[in-house]
Amino acid sequence: MPLTESAATFWDQITFWILAACVIGGALFTMTRRNPVTAVMSLVGTFFALAATYATLSAHFLAVIQILVYAGAIMVLFIFVVMILNREEVAPVALRGLGARILGLVAGLYLVFVFARVVHLGAEASVPVPSETFGTVASIGDILFRDFLYPFEAISLLLLVAVVGGVVISRSHKKEVAAEQAAERRKIIEQLAHADFPALSDLAGDGDAHGGAGGHH
Amino acid sequence: MPTSYYLTLSFVLFLVGTGGVLLRRNALIVLMGIELQLNAGNLALLAFSRALGDQKGHAFAFVIIALAAAEAAVGLAILVALFRSRQTINLDEASLMKR
Repeated sequence: MPLTESAATFWDQITFWILAACVIGGALFTMTRRNPVTAVMSLVGTFFALAATYATLSAHFLAVIQILVYAGAIMVLFIFVVMILNREEVAPVALRGLGARILGLVAGLYLVFVFARVVHLGAEASVPVPSETFGTVASIGDILFRDFLYPFEAISLLLLVAVVGGVVISRSHKKEVAAEQAAERRKIIEQLAHADFPALSDLAGDGDAHGGAGGHH
Repeated sequence: MPTSYYLTLSFVLFLVGTGGVLLRRNALIVLMGIELQLNAGNLALLAFSRALGDQKGHAFAFVIIALAAAEAAVGLAILVALFRSRQTINLDEASLMKR
């Protein structure tokens, strides 16, 4: 391997292993908790460790975005929802049926096989020393607004749709149902009033000339 | 560090997330597992981006983070709606369209 991997110093390795332990440990902790609040908190820790891992890949901009968006926004949303619907699971783990297990095993083995090939490819590739501007806000912005302008605009559309969809789906429909029922009742009352009026006039003036006009109502 | 180390980390993270998605019944934990999977994908993208010296992977990762935000918003809204109509977030009980 040419000139590249000698650059991984002792401290680089220590950092990587600590961060990897934090990421995997946090993820396992998240997935095995029964209490959703504990799970969310350890997921926040996992995301912080992941952001640090991104920074070691000289992706500084994305490390900051990771903390802002994940640890800041998404996790707050999770906490809110956990607080709204905090229910304990009766039986947390579900995997029933022999067929499902065999299928899962085969799919998992295939995943491991494919991934081993990818890692093999990655191991052969030589890692160049990144340029000075690699991963900075300026260079990412340059790429984002030059080469990826349309995807960037598509993201804004996606976020708008997601916001509207989230509001529409999670909104309570009780008020609407009540309003609809009230409108229906009002309609029935109006119909009754209109229907009653000519009948009353018929009763009042039986042989009157106004009876014909009342029929038009 | 060699790229393969980061890729292996990404793979283990993806496995943990997949295990959570497939094995847990609490819909909230399942959504967290999906977040872990998306982050594993991001990690792999950034590792390859670093290995190839090409910053397009960063743009992809940016898009994926926005996508994860949208997914979390809509998914949690669906959970709230499910809880309103069924009083449960157990995925085994949300099976009206299966029968």
